[in-house]
Amino acid sequence: MPNLVLFAEWVEQLPISTAIAESTYAFPIVEGVHLIGLSIAVGLLFITDLRLAGVILKSVPLTQVLKQLRPWILGGFASIFITGGLLFCAEASAMVANPAFKFKLVFIALAALNAGYFEFVIARKAAGDLDRPIVPRAIKFAGLASLSLWTVVIVCGRLIPYLPSTP
Amino acid sequence: MSTAEILTAIQDSAVAHAISKSNHLVGAGLQVVHVLGFIALLAALVLISLRILNLVFKQQPLSAVTRDANRLFYLGLGLAVASGVLMFVSSPKLYFYKFAFELKMLLFVTAVVIQFAALRRVAAHENPHPVLARAVVAVSLAAWFGIGLAGRMIGFT
Repeated sequence: MPNLVLFAEWVEQLPISTAIAESTYAFPIVEGVHLIGLSIAVGLLFITDLRLAGVILKSVPLTQVLKQLRPWILGGFASIFITGGLLFCAEASAMVANPAFKFKLVFIALAALNAGYFEFVIARKAAGDLDRPIVPRAIKFAGLASLSLWTVVIVCGRLIPYLPSTP
Repeated sequence: MSTAEILTAIQDSAVAHAISKSNHLVGAGLQVVHVLGFIALLAALVLISLRILNLVFKQQPLSAVTRDANRLFYLGLGLAVASGVLMFVSSPKLYFYKFAFELKMLLFVTAVVIQFAALRRVAAHENPHPVLARAVVAVSLAAWFGIGLAGRMIGFT
């Protein structure tokens, strides 16, 4: 895909990209903020998923877990997208050729589809059953699917520097 | 035994050889377990913090939320420490003299002390003093987030 390579090369030349790439501390600091944002967004999402699966926080009604953690999860995701975007800018050419990065994007897309399907189909259909002691199985599966997909996203992300780039 | 001799002895141990001579993906696997454990730990800590500050689940008793969160906290801590120790053992001389690593260990000791000396005590009261609660949560989160930041610096400095 020559267009993608050209795009990556253009992104990498932007002032913000070269500033991050050339500084000793900027890249690891942005990565650190990415990690902290991740622990808030994906971390609280994991807690939501474990509640959907009926593992923890069973004393809190499910609708309350979904409603009260949502703003923190969305806020965390905003910070991951910004820092993730900056990290991509600094290493764009290497990233578009990196297999772990490509898999990471694929699994983020799958996790987003799962979240959308849960939010707009499963949760709406089961709206009356959410706070019952035994929730419909579809809800448990959606939680376990989210937990698995986001775990794979993190694994792929951590493997980015370990897997060689392929043109 | 001097520090250098101890580090050399660790580096020459069977465990160290087993890790450092294996495929580089074993090291990558340890990094993956380390980050997953750390995220589980932080997720639990963020949940406990939000509950102590009355920002979520005000209707539920603090003890019920912390009990569940603590299980996740210790699972994460166990995974992060076990993988971290193995990474350190595989090349102790690489880590020991790095400022970022020393800072991370200092923050880690601080965070663990705060966890057991202060945060657990605050969470033991159903209605902790709001100023004390806020201060302890702030220091605790700063220490654990600092560990994450210092950890990311290790590979770059």
